[in-house]
Order: sequence, then structure tokens, then C-alpha cells
Amino acid sequence: MWLRTIVVDTRHTRPLLTHHKTTQTRDIPITTVPTNNSSNQASHILSLLGRIKTQTNGGYQTTNYNNQSAGGYPSTNYSNQTNTPNQGNYTSTPYQNYTHDAANTHSSTVATTTTPVHYQQSYQQWPAYYGQTEVPCAPGTEKLPATSAVSQSFPVPGVTNETPASNGQPAPSYAQPWRQETDLSQPPSQQPAAAVSASNDAYWKHQTQNQQAHYPVPPQNHYQSPLETKPLYETPFQGHQRATYPQGMNSQSSVHQAPLGYRQPTQATPSVDTQRVSKIQIPTNPRIASNLPSGYTKMDKGSSAAGATQTPAYVSVSMPKPKVHATPVPEPGTLPKSLCGFVERAFARCKGDKEKASCQAALKKVITEASDDGTLHTRDWDTEPLSTVLNTDVTNTESSSTLISSLQNKSPTKRPKSRWEPLVEKPFVKSASTFSSGVKFGGWNQQNQNNKKSFESFQKADAVTDSKPTYSWQNSKPAYSWQNSAKKSFQRPVKRQRFSGGAATAIDDEASSDSDKDSTPSAMSFATSAEQTKRRDSRSKRFEKVQGHSRRNDIPRPNIANVGILHSRRGTALRLGEDFDESGCRSVEDIDWNALTVKGTCQEIEKRYFRLTSAPDPSAVRPEDVLEKALLMVQDSQKNYLYKCDQLKSIRQDLTVQRIHNHLTVKVYETHARLALEAGDLPEYNQCLSQLKILYADGIEGCSLEFAAYSLLYITLHSNNNRELLSSMSRLSKEAKKDEAVRHALSVRAAVTSGNYVMFFRLYKTAPNMNSFLMDLYVEKMRYKAVTVMSRSCRPTIPVSYLAQVLGFTNTSSEGSGEKETDSMEACSEWLKAHGASLIADSNGDMLLDTKVSTTNLFMPEPEDAVAHGDKNLDVNDFFTRTS
Amino acid sequence: MAYVSMGEAHRRITEYLNRFCDAVSYQDSSMLCRLLSFSSNSPSLLSLADALNVFQDASSLIRQSDKFSEYGEILAHLFRSLQSYRVGNLVEAYLAFEKFANAFVQEFRNWESAWALEALYVVCYEVRILAEKADKELTSNGKSPEKLKAAGSLLMKVFGVLAGKGPKRVGALYVTCQLFKTYFKLGTVNLCRSVIRSIETARIFDFEEFPRRDKVTYMYYTGRLEVFNENFPAADTKLSYALQHCNPERERNIRMILKYLIPVKLSLGVIPKDELLQKYNLHEYMNVVQALRKGDLRLLRHALQEHEDRYVFPLTSYCTYLHLNCIVAVFLRSGVYLVLEKLELQVYQRLMKKIYIIQKLSDPARAHQLKLEVIAKALRWLEIDMDLDEVECIMTILIYKNLVKGYLAHKSKVVVLSKQDPFPKLNGKPVGS
Repeated sequence: MWLRTIVVDTRHTRPLLTHHKTTQTRDIPITTVPTNNSSNQASHILSLLGRIKTQTNGGYQTTNYNNQSAGGYPSTNYSNQTNTPNQGNYTSTPYQNYTHDAANTHSSTVATTTTPVHYQQSYQQWPAYYGQTEVPCAPGTEKLPATSAVSQSFPVPGVTNETPASNGQPAPSYAQPWRQETDLSQPPSQQPAAAVSASNDAYWKHQTQNQQAHYPVPPQNHYQSPLETKPLYETPFQGHQRATYPQGMNSQSSVHQAPLGYRQPTQATPSVDTQRVSKIQIPTNPRIASNLPSGYTKMDKGSSAAGATQTPAYVSVSMPKPKVHATPVPEPGTLPKSLCGFVERAFARCKGDKEKASCQAALKKVITEASDDGTLHTRDWDTEPLSTVLNTDVTNTESSSTLISSLQNKSPTKRPKSRWEPLVEKPFVKSASTFSSGVKFGGWNQQNQNNKKSFESFQKADAVTDSKPTYSWQNSKPAYSWQNSAKKSFQRPVKRQRFSGGAATAIDDEASSDSDKDSTPSAMSFATSAEQTKRRDSRSKRFEKVQGHSRRNDIPRPNIANVGILHSRRGTALRLGEDFDESGCRSVEDIDWNALTVKGTCQEIEKRYFRLTSAPDPSAVRPEDVLEKALLMVQDSQKNYLYKCDQLKSIRQDLTVQRIHNHLTVKVYETHARLALEAGDLPEYNQCLSQLKILYADGIEGCSLEFAAYSLLYITLHSNNNRELLSSMSRLSKEAKKDEAVRHALSVRAAVTSGNYVMFFRLYKTAPNMNSFLMDLYVEKMRYKAVTVMSRSCRPTIPVSYLAQVLGFTNTSSEGSGEKETDSMEACSEWLKAHGASLIADSNGDMLLDTKVSTTNLFMPEPEDAVAHGDKNLDVNDFFTRTS
Repeated sequence: MAYVSMGEAHRRITEYLNRFCDAVSYQDSSMLCRLLSFSSNSPSLLSLADALNVFQDASSLIRQSDKFSEYGEILAHLFRSLQSYRVGNLVEAYLAFEKFANAFVQEFRNWESAWALEALYVVCYEVRILAEKADKELTSNGKSPEKLKAAGSLLMKVFGVLAGKGPKRVGALYVTCQLFKTYFKLGTVNLCRSVIRSIETARIFDFEEFPRRDKVTYMYYTGRLEVFNENFPAADTKLSYALQHCNPERERNIRMILKYLIPVKLSLGVIPKDELLQKYNLHEYMNVVQALRKGDLRLLRHALQEHEDRYVFPLTSYCTYLHLNCIVAVFLRSGVYLVLEKLELQVYQRLMKKIYIIQKLSDPARAHQLKLEVIAKALRWLEIDMDLDEVECIMTILIYKNLVKGYLAHKSKVVVLSKQDPFPKLNGKPVGS
């Protein structure tokens, strides 16, 4: 534990240095913190920022604590303390292995504490942790020159200015009392855990209790005071932070551990993960804290539900720490210069805060990996591609959020308090995104300060005792780069806060939005965004499988590389949980359409058409008998096509929704198709026709032949697709071919293919049903072709009267009354002129078509009603004029 | 099914396994073909199937030896397919065979050389045939036939394996042809386009290097596609290529080619000799050719009618296999139908020419003036009722399409023919060009 925490700290510390320089940043967090404590519900943004930092500080405080203790006290005791809280958490959580590791590194006592792995235990611990997290604040405040009553009330070791002393000494003493308390909530198994850990726990618990009692009011005072007294403040602040830090760490770590432990008890989590997790989760803690006020009481009561929700975060924290332990830095010596250069380069590449944050996370991962591999010093950092560091971190953050979710999923029964869920998730998200970095840095600053002032020696001592690698980290150059990152990261938290605030309302969305903003293309980002939409959600299920695989793979290897996977797992788990909770309504693919089939109850005959955007409401759906009346109403209606179309569409919708497939359905579609033909609304006509084809194929009779004729005509005249034409022709039965409409359609086809315009226009005049409406589609083309052919073949002239008759301008040849003749003549000559034909008048005054001249001059005029988008039916004005 | 003892079954299966593995290890393609070709109904395969039905646990046999288990997946599916095939469960047989084919193709992909191409051909062929049979079974059970479609996508996958560079590319054309057959049968001819494109645009491989039989088949199908597109010159070259390279002893194949080539040639103004039609039993074209020669419009229409009636069956349900076949037959036939329909203009031309010749005999001076009345009368003799407007319309079209040289005097209702070559021959050019 020690080593890990130290390592984390060192990294952070460097950023912290920058922090110190920019006191403002610190101030902000501090100020915010009070708000949190006083009223968790307080304004989110500020409070969030403050919380985050404070929390981070708190989380770090543990580390700080260690440092301090090391400084003030012999490192061993100190380290034990720090370790113990974690261990205590661990023991409670399923991570038996973890405890072992910790025990090995730190003390055997820890190892002994192998409590039965139970969720409840971890949950129970939660309250204690919470208390711890808040406790740190108290100590910090106490440290500050101004000691408020509240601070005093805190029994925490940090209460007194002598934080180091309190940390180091009090821990052991406290441990036992703590234990007892813990015992109350926790099963006896935990007690066996190392005395040290017990002591820590006990200590913490006390604090929590105190804090809870005090919480509402006092914290603000404490915090503010530190701000005011910056000079003094720094040291106390550090202590303060440290105090808080362990809490945050513990809580988070415990959460993480729980899931991890369940999955892979044996696994030693990678140090990188631990760091990240802790960072990430730290931010989450603030939220929790904010929310906590209400929840707190519950926590105290030890209600499992509250604990359950919180636990996830807890677990995650624990994870990182154990990892740290498990992967002690191979070489305590200094970091390679090339690595520092690498880090610097990486940060130089980052433009925004987000990028930096992600980069930072990625860097940590890389470095921890390297240290795990033992390649930290052997690798050629100068040539290491930066791409590995840039744009990779989003996944991790997301993954962390997912982990949380998974945790929640596992304890669905304990969820009852809904408000908790969002809160927990939020914090995770935030932490995942970038908060963690900022938080860490804050913590680090303290460390740095400590180091600078008098701690260096202490640290060294600590490092020597427990974890040299960490020491090397701090001292080594990489620290510098880290500082830079820290600065950057510092700014991040603010932005993040915004996000987190949003997250509070909608957890999932928040996570997704974060990922989106990060805009790093990664599978994980995908997954998170998936939660936004149902479709994506369904997709996520697929992911689950994959992740499940990864899970299996991960178990055996404790490497950092797996961290990302772990995170992703959590994400999937989250999604899963949601799915469960929301009874699968999210994925369209899973909808049981049968179950959704509606029985309408609406008795209104008239209904406007609205495209459904949700499941139909039975009260708005008309049953079949009403629909029948509605159809009659539409058929008898004198209103224009638009009205009828609208009504018919709503009827169709109701039919579809109720899954009615019978003669009525056919009737409705036929009616609509005819009306659409009449109005020249081909898109609607095609919709109807395609439905009709299905209905006819299902054996519902209707006027299939009439529509077979229509479709034949449509193909020949409009789509002009030979193959389609042939297949639809070949589909006609003998009986069908005897049908008048079909025969007509077939002869129209023959006329068109042979170009027999005389035949075509005769058929046009004798068209049954609505065939002529479809033929209208081709009239213009046919006329043009005919005139072209005639002017080419005939010499010298053709009388317009003949053309008018042949080209269908006359309504009926039998009705040759004078007026109509002249009307059609005029229409014909108009048309001819419009197409470039040259007309002359003979001695009788009859109009003649001069074929020779016309041959070269004929052209197809642009249709007047042509619209840019090619479908004149979409032209609203035109449509209205034609249909009204 | 003769009784097969357990030992005998065991022996047969082991023998088959041995032969399979030997064929693979010695890269004996012809042996492999024999082992895979279901539809050959070879006695050895049948007896193996019997043995498999007796000895149910063939997979354990496969697993026994490393030699066999290397091809365990292939063989297990193959056995299952063979079993189902033997007992007449064709759908099951197809499903298992499809899995087998997938596994086999996977294995084939790993083989460096193309030694197993022949075996792959067999697999492709069997997949298609089995799918057709399975579809027949499905429709007889009232289910929708979909196996051929599945086979189509499987074949497409195989095509993808072969279509790249390398020695295996030689096999691409065979698979293409199988795909054509599938698509034509399914009536999804448009799917052929992508395959054709990849064959014709790939310059890495000269078309002439493909095996001849594949080239002929390919040209036959692409020629048919051109018929659908009414691109007669292209159809002519492709089908002529197929005809020239087709094995002259394969009369059935030649007949199939001629079925499409003759209408194409007719529409280009080339009329076949009667001997040809007789030799290849293409009686359906006799009347058409007669009508063209005589200018007998009635005969042509009659012949067309006959065609249509002969091939158009009443389709009761949309998804019967019969229907599937029927669609295909009608589809193809009507592809020709549309071509033949276009011959009408040539028949008119021939009719006018006859009238012109007759007029020339009686009154050479005014022979070039054809009265519409006269033409209408001639048509009436052919029992085709047309008024003058319609006749005029047809005359204008003939002139417009350059089948008749001259002009039509509308006022006097007379077609005035050019004195030089009034009825130009098409000479291999499509009408209207």
C-alpha cells in the first residue's frame, strides 16, 4: 500500500508544486469544500470544484499522511496507518488477496484479516469511510490557526495541529476503539484484521461520527479559515488534505475492490489503475458528500442500501491502492531522463485541459506499465511514440464509470434509494473524466510542500522503509513534467465540475457527453454514448459479450494494461444494470411487438395523422369499427386531397398499430392509392401499392387485378425497367389477362414499346378505372415522340386537326362538336408551339405543321412546374393548387 | 437399405476418412472430388451414408486419430450432411453441407496452391444443387424457399476467396457461373453485375486464360443479360462467342445458346436457315422465322401468343417452387418475348416490300407510291384490323426507324418510297440505328 500511495503522491506532488504557486486554484477548492460540508445540496458547480479538490486532497491526504507521519514519526508506524485504512477496506471487501499483498508489504497482521467477502461488509464500512473522508477536512481545519468548535469536536488525530503526530501516534491507539465500532457494523471477521488497520478504521469512524454530527454547519468555517491564512495554511492544509485523502481513497478503493474481488480474487491490480481510480474516484467523493447529507444519516444507521450504492466507488478506490502495493516500482532509483522528456513532449502536444488530463492518465498508464514490465529504465523513451499517450485516456475514464455501474448492478436490491444511484455514478464519471488528475495534484501539492519544507528527509525515510520506488519518483525529473500536467489538470477540474453537475441529473448521459467531448475515438466512448440512445443501448449489449471475454482474460494478469479493460467492464455492467432496471425498454430490437399491439379505444371518427414517436396510446387509437366509419367518412368527404390523405394516413397508422390485416386494411390502402393517383401523389401511391402487394400476397382479395394493372402501367410508363416489367407480366395469371384493366394495361405496354401513338391515345381515351391517371405520366413523352416521328416521316405538312385527334387533345372523337374541336385544336397548337414545332396556315386558314422545319426544331421544353428537388409533388403551393 | 454390420460400417467410415486424408495430403484433387460429389450418387458414397446411419458416432472416429481430427470440422459436417441426404432430409443435408462448405473453403484458403480447385468446384456445384433440392422440399412443406439464396451468398464468399491474385484466380470464373445460375434461378439478375464487374475490370488476369467451359458459360449468361438490356449487338457478340467455343458435341448447350442467339440475330436482320432450327429442335422459332420471311404479321403474333401461353403458367401462390421455376422460365422466355415482339416492325417492312414488288409487277411507274389503303387491305387479309390512322402511324415509325426509305404524304395518305433501296437491310445493325 505504501509504495503505491507514495507513487501516486509523487506524481501528484509535482503538479502540486505548481499548485502552490497558483494559490488561487487551491483556494477555490477550499472554499468550495465548506459549502459541501455545510450543505451537500449547495450550488453544484462551485461546490463540486471545491469538493473535488478537497476530496482529492482528502484522498491524498492518506498519502500525505504517510508522508507526514514518516516525517514526524518513524516511517513504519506511519505507513502502517495509512495502509491500514486501506487494508481495512480491503478486508471488508472481497479482496482477500489484496489484503495479503498489503500485509506482505506492510505487516503480516493485515494479511490475517481475511474477512468473508461480502458486499454488505463493504457497505457497512462505507459509512465509516465517509466519515473518514470528511474527517480529513476537520483535521485540516483544526490545523489551521483558527480552530472552530467543529474542528475541535472532531476527535480525529488531525484535530490538533500536530497532524503528523496525531497521524502517527493516535492511529494505533485509535485502532482498537474503532474496531469495536466497526465490529458493530461489520462481521467479526474484520476484527481479526491487523490491529493497525483496525485502528485506522476506528479512528476514521470516530471522525465520521463526529463529522456527521457537525456537518451541516461548521465545515465552512474551517475551510475558509485555511484560505485566509495561506502562509500558515500550507502545512496544515497538507495535513488536512492527507486526512481527507485516505478517506476518499478508501471509499473509492473499496468500491472498486468489491467488483474486482468478485471477479478476480487472485488478481493483483495494476498500480496504474489504482492511481487512476483513486484520482477518478476522488472527484466522485465530493459529489457523494454533497448528496450525502441526506444520505449520511442513513449511512450512520448502517443501512445497507446506502452503503451499497456508495460501495461501488469505494471498491474502485481500494483497487488502485492494492495495485500500488502489488506493483512496487521495480527500481527505487531515479526515473530515466528520457522518460521525463517523453512526458514533457506529451504534454507539450496537449492543447486543451481535457487533452492534458487524458494525456496525463495515459502517461501514468504507460509509465506504470513500464515499471511493471521492468522496462521503465530500459525503454527508449525518446523514441516512444506519443500517440500511445495522446487520445487514449478517455476509455479509462469511461471505464471507471462503467465499473461503478457494474457495482450497482451487482447489488440491485440495495438500490432502493434512487437518489443515491445518480450521485454515486456521477462522481465516478467525473473522476474518470479528468477530475482525478486535478485532485491528485492538489494532494501532491501538499506533499511537495511537505517535502520542500522539512519532509524530504521524512519521505526518504519512508521510501527507504516501504517503497523506494515512490521516493525515486518524487525526486526524479519526471516530477517536473508532472507538475506541468498538474497545472493543466488543475484547470480541468473546473470544467469537469460542470460536467459533473450535469451528471448529477442524468448519469448516463453525462458519462456519454463527457466521452463525446473528449472526442477520443475509442470503443469505450462509443459504449458510453450508447446509453444516450436506445439503439446504442442495444448495441452495448453486444459489447457486453466482448467485455465479458476481456474479463476472463484479465483475471490472470495483474498488469496495468488490463485496467482499461476493467473499466470497460464496469461500463458494461452499468449498462446492463440499467437495462435490467428499465426492463429492456431501451433497445428497439428487444421490443416485444406482440405485447405492444394496441387495442384501440378511441371513438373519434376523425383523427389527424401524427407520426408516432413513442408507443401508441390506446386511448388515441380507433378500433376497427370506428376505422370503418372513418374510411366511409373520408370517401364521402368533399374536402381536398390533403385532408383525405391526412385522414387516411391516420387510419393506416391505427391499423398498423393494431396489426389489423384484413379486407378493411386492403380497402383503406386501395382507397388511398386511388386518391393518390388522382392527385398525382406518386410517393403516397407507391407506399400504398407496396402495402397492397403484401396484403394481396397474404390472400386478401380486394381489387388485386385493378392494382395489377396499375402496377403494370406504372412500370411501363414510369420506371421503364424491362426486367421488372417482364417479371410482373409473367406473374399475371390467365384469368388476370382476361381482366379488362389488365388487358388494357398490357395493350398500353405494347403501344408504348412499339411507339404506336395512335394506339396509345386511343387506349388513353378508353382507359378503365384510373388507368388514365397513370397514363398521364407518359402522355407528354408520347406526344413528343409522336410529333418527332411524324415530322420526320411525313411531308410536307400535317394538319393540326389531325394531330389534335391523334395525340389525344380531343376528348372523344365522337364528340366532334365545333367548339370542342377548336378548343382541342388550340390546345394542340399551343402544345406544338411550346415544343418548337413550326405551324403554318394554309389557304383555308387551317393550321398545318411544317414537318421539314419542325424536324430540326422540336425540343422537349422544361416542365414549367419543375422544381429543383425533382419531385414537383413536394412543391407545396403547386400541390395545394392541384388538390384543392 | 441393406443391412450393414457395425464392423462393416466402421470399416467403411474409416476407409473414407483415410481416403479423404490421403487425398488431401497427396493433393489428389480428383479423388477429393469423388469423395465430395453427392449428386453423383456414387455407390461408394451411398454405402458410406448407410454406414454412417448405422454407426451413429462417426465424430468419435474422427476424433480418434490426429490425422482425421485435423479435418474434424469438415468431415463432421460432411458426414452429417451425407446422413441427412441419404435419408432424404434435404434441408438438413443442405444446412450441414453449407457448414461443411464453409469449413472447406476456410481450409482451402490456407492451401497455398490451387490444387484443390476441382474439389472446390464440386463443393460449389453441390451447394447449389442441394440448395435447389432443399428449396423444393421446403416449398412442398409450405415453407418459403430460402436455401438457394443462402447458397448464393455462400458462393459469393467463395468468389471472394478466389477473386484475388494468384493461382486460385483461375477458379473465379467457375464460381461466377455458379452464381449466375443461382441468380438467374432466383430472378435476382441484378446481383450479377458486381460479379461481372470484378471479372471484367480485373486486368491482372486475361479472360482467355480461364478454362474454356467457364468462358462459354460466362458468355452465355452475360449474353443473356445483354438480351434483357436490349443491347443486341453486345448480346450477339457474347452469345456468338459462346456458340463458337462451345463443345460441338454438347447439343443441349448449343441449343440453349441458340435459343437466345436466334432472336438476337433476328432482331439484327439475320435470319437462320431452317436446317439449323431443325437440327437443334428449335421449333418455337420456325413460325417466327416464317413470319419474317413472308411478312406475315398474323403468323408472328400467333407465334408470340403461343410462346406466351406456353410458358406462362397461372401462378397461384407467390412462393412455390413451381412459381420460382415458372418465373424463371417466363422471365427468360419473355426476355426473348420482348425481343421477338420488336420483330413486328421488320414484318411490316417485309409486308410493304411484298406489296411494293407486286405493284412493281403491275405498274412499275407508280410502284414507289404505296397507298395506306392498300396496306390496310393487306393487313385485313391477314385478319388484322387496322384503320388508316394506325397504319399511318406504323408507316411513320417504319420511316423513322429507317426500315423504309421515303416519306409519307399525309394529305394523300400515300407512302412515297425512295427509288433507291426503299427497304434497306439491317445487316447486323439493330433497328432504328
